[in-house]
Formats: sequence, structure tokens, C-alpha cells
Amino acid sequence: MKKYELLKKLEGTQTIESVKDILHVNKKMAIYYIYRLRKEGYVKTKKQSNNNRVYNISLENKLGGKSYYEIINENSPLKISTPIFYKIYGKEPSLEETLVYAIKTKSLRTILASLALFKRINNWTKLYRLAKENHIEKQVGALYDLTREIIKVRKMKVRFRNNSLPKKENKFEYIIPKLKSKDFKKIEKLWKVYLPFNKEDLEEYK
Amino acid sequence: MITIEQQQGLLLNISRRLDKKVTVYAIGGTAMMFLGFKDATLDIDLVFENEKDKEIFKKALKSLGYLEMDAMKVYGKKKNQPEMLKLDDERFDLFMVEVISFIFSETMQKRAEQIHQFENNLILKIANPHDIILMKCATDRLKDKDDAMKIINSVKIDWKILIQEAKKQIELGKERAAFDLGYFLEDLKRNFKVNIPQEVLDTLFSIVEKQAKEKIKG
Repeated sequence: MKKYELLKKLEGTQTIESVKDILHVNKKMAIYYIYRLRKEGYVKTKKQSNNNRVYNISLENKLGGKSYYEIINENSPLKISTPIFYKIYGKEPSLEETLVYAIKTKSLRTILASLALFKRINNWTKLYRLAKENHIEKQVGALYDLTREIIKVRKMKVRFRNNSLPKKENKFEYIIPKLKSKDFKKIEKLWKVYLPFNKEDLEEYK
Repeated sequence: MITIEQQQGLLLNISRRLDKKVTVYAIGGTAMMFLGFKDATLDIDLVFENEKDKEIFKKALKSLGYLEMDAMKVYGKKKNQPEMLKLDDERFDLFMVEVISFIFSETMQKRAEQIHQFENNLILKIANPHDIILMKCATDRLKDKDDAMKIINSVKIDWKILIQEAKKQIELGKERAAFDLGYFLEDLKRNFKVNIPQEVLDTLFSIVEKQAKEKIKG
């Protein structure tokens, strides 16, 4: 069987049993096919508690790299699926970059999951620079204050806060167009940013 | 030939030499490698959105030892040829929006959903398989038909996308688009025994007929 045909048929999560069923082969041949794909870097193996092996087979395993979504999922209790394919090679994206990326997606679920990053973010200078470049420093500030109400987070540097707080002439901005909060009016007023979450949206963090 | 691993190393090297963020679309063998259709490619075909980005990219390639070569050797007298740079077996074909007889249109750019970022400065967007077929039709070099056949045999093709894009290309001034695509697909069907629905070919040629009638009228 050609490699791509094999990869296409087996892409996803498999066990020896499922490989046997999909390819209509015996155990020995199923092991051989997984061995062939593993040799080329397509297979990641996990052992279950009952000692059975589960194989994650995909082209992405061969390509390597890291996605922002993987970083969010590694750091957040809320797990999100990957809506788009975005891989980064040659560097591990920082938590600060990941947060800025998440806010820029304007996706409710992605932003919600990324709030957990505030627990581990400590390079406020970098975060400020990235947020400023993307004109979202007020949004970062508002989301930080919101996160502080639901989970324990690292302390924001005073300089970040002072530099990011809105001026009198600044107008209200949205994080996600047309979405405002019913429950966090105080934070919205302070940062002149409409928050896309209500209290009940944040229950998954409790 | 350049493999996936070698290509990733090369793209990282290029990224380190770029002065600013550059976004580029992969349309040929490179795109096929990222989509899992092949293991290695002879040339790396890229489309740029603007001349400035292309120049920055070219500068980075030259700093790696790549030398410019005459595109006529590969593309003959075709229009909108790429700038070509070569080092040993590896070759870059750098296009600017127009790829021979096709335009890498906005709809094609939007369909390029897979993004690969190399370190900080190089963002590579991978053309959709349907658009790779169209680009293969545009370049129509040796091996391009083999590649198109590989894609058609590997994924479920939505033929409507190809027909719509041919129409779009005509709107954008590429009058030969439906004819070239029809001819390319017909050749694949006849000589490479690729399963292409007859109604797709009929639709494309009815577009060509309509164009001809309008020309006669005009």
C-alpha cells in the first residue's frame, strides 16, 4: 500500500484493533503499517492505563512546529479545538504572543480559554510592546482585570497599567464587535473597552 | 530535490535573513508537500502580494548564495514569468500576483487557510488544493500534470470551485482561463486516465463558446 493512501486511511487516533479493522489486515500487518508511518515521523504514541497503545497519526506530526492553540490548551483548563491551521517553526511562541494572537482572533471561545495565560504571564514589557503594536493594550488590561475576578493571576506591572489606561478623549472599543457585558460594567468603564463575557460565561473556570 | 525537512530548514534560514515580516503564498510542490501530497519537490513556487516583499525575499535568497537564472529556459515565451533563483538542485520561482496565464486572485488568497510561520518574519500561506490545480494548469511544465493528477486522485474535488474560479479569472481579464483549464483537464482525462466528470469539461467549453460568440457580436 502506498504511503499516502495509508496515511489518509489511518489519519486520526487509532489502536492496533482499529488499524486491523480499517485495513482489513491481521495484527502483524497492522503493527508493520504503523511502524512504516512511525519511521517517517507521522505517528505519536501514547500508552493508556491498561497498557494499550493509542496512536495519533497525522501529517502534522511530521511537520512539527507549534500552534498558538496548542499553547492555549497546554495552559488553560478550557480546551479548544483548532479552528485554523497555524503552525510556527524555529521558535516556541511566548505566552505573551499567544495572548495577543488570541485576542486578535476575535473568537469568543479562544479569548475565553486564553484568559488562563494571565496566570503565567510575567514579561509585561513584552506584552505591552506586542499589545501596543496591535493596538489592543486597553483590551489586554480589561481582560486582565476581568480574569483577576475569577482566578488567581500574576500581578500586572504598574507601568503596564498606567501606560495602557485610556485617555479622556479615547472612545469605547470592542474586543468582539457588538458584544458587551452585563456584569462587568465597572471594568468596561475603567478601560473603555466592552467585554464580551458575562459571569455565566466564566463558570467553566470555577 | 528538496525534502520536507530540508525545506523547513531552508525556510527558517531565509526567515532569519528577512528585514521585515513577509507573507507569501506557496502554490506548487511546496504547497503539495505541506498538504501531504508529496515528499519532495524540485522547485519552490511562491506568489507575492507586492514587489517590495519579493525584493526583500530575493535579497535573503541571494545572501544564501542563490543566483538568478533565465526563466525562459523553463517557461519559454509564456507571459508573467517568475523571477528564478537557483542553488545546486534547489530552485525558487517567485511570482508577483500573476502566474503565467492566471491571477492568484483574492478568492484564492482567502482559500489559502493553512498558515506556516517560520521564526518571526516569514509567513507562508498554503494554496488550497483546488487552486494548486489551477496554478498547475497555468504553469503547465513537465510534471505539473502528474502533480494535478495526484491531487485529483487524493482529495474530493469540488468542480464548481474550479469552474467559478475560471469565470472569475475571465472577469479579471484572463480571457483564456476557461479554455486553458478545459484543455488541461481534458488532457488529464484522455492521456492520464484521470476521473474528471464530462459535464465539467462541457461547462468549461460552453463558457469558451459563449466568449467566442460575444467576440463575434462585438
